[in-house]
Amino acid sequence: MSEMSDEKLEQMLRARRVAPPSTDLAERIILKAQAIPQVQALPLGQSLRQIFGEFHLPKPAYVLAGTLIIGFVLGFSDPFDKVPIDRGGSTSAQAFLYVEEDTL
Amino acid sequence: MAVDWAEKDDGDLLALIQTGSHHAFGVLVRRHTERFYRLAYRYVQNREAAEDIVQDAFLKLWEEPARWRPDRHSKFTTWFYTVVVNLCLDWRKKKRPVQIPEEMPLVDEGLRPEEAAARAEEQRRLEAEIAALPERQREALNLCFAEGLSNQEAADIMRVNLKALQSLLMRAKTTLRERLGE
Repeated sequence: MSEMSDEKLEQMLRARRVAPPSTDLAERIILKAQAIPQVQALPLGQSLRQIFGEFHLPKPAYVLAGTLIIGFVLGFSDPFDKVPIDRGGSTSAQAFLYVEEDTL
Repeated sequence: MAVDWAEKDDGDLLALIQTGSHHAFGVLVRRHTERFYRLAYRYVQNREAAEDIVQDAFLKLWEEPARWRPDRHSKFTTWFYTVVVNLCLDWRKKKRPVQIPEEMPLVDEGLRPEEAAARAEEQRRLEAEIAALPERQREALNLCFAEGLSNQEAADIMRVNLKALQSLLMRAKTTLRERLGE
């Protein structure tokens, strides 16, 4: 088995042919582009302003007041049933959990 | 004062395209279409597909001209080769394996019939062997033997260093010499 010379191979590689393109390829591309709007890149500052503009945040004082109110409401509400006091004064977690059991 | 568009370099044209100049886009397209078509054809071996790929690449450029970043990209042609190569690789993933055309395109019309037939067969064999190479080796060959690309530019497009590119080329050529020499 003989190997082709490097020179011959390079000659073949450089002589590789391609089927010629359509003569109007460039013009078709140019014409098609006319119907396509460009997407213009915005400066970073403007992009950020657009993003934050989507969020309508209330004034900071209102946010603080609202947070305090919610906090008070949650703090004074008791979502769990109260544990009976006559369970020997026990306030352990066990007593708290097993509300239905009779005291022994 | 009349503007000589032919004298504007690619960077100037791209800056104008980014301001919406369709005329600058036209100049750039006419200047480079054939070169990128030839590269795409080497990848896909199909005229219609190569034309579609080049068209898609240029239309993407028109639609989003900000993709070209002069601070990041040293040369338009190097960058655009990357765009075209990526589209070719996408095409190959989605489509059937590359079919080597039975009728190889010949530009040398002055050959005698028997010479033309021998040259066509030689070319067909070469294309078949190139198509059988591993993808990275094939890519290296396609880029390095495309007009106007230096080895360094090809390495930049493939995102490898020069040594890695030369290694790919060496392996590709070794395989081709063995197979075509049989």
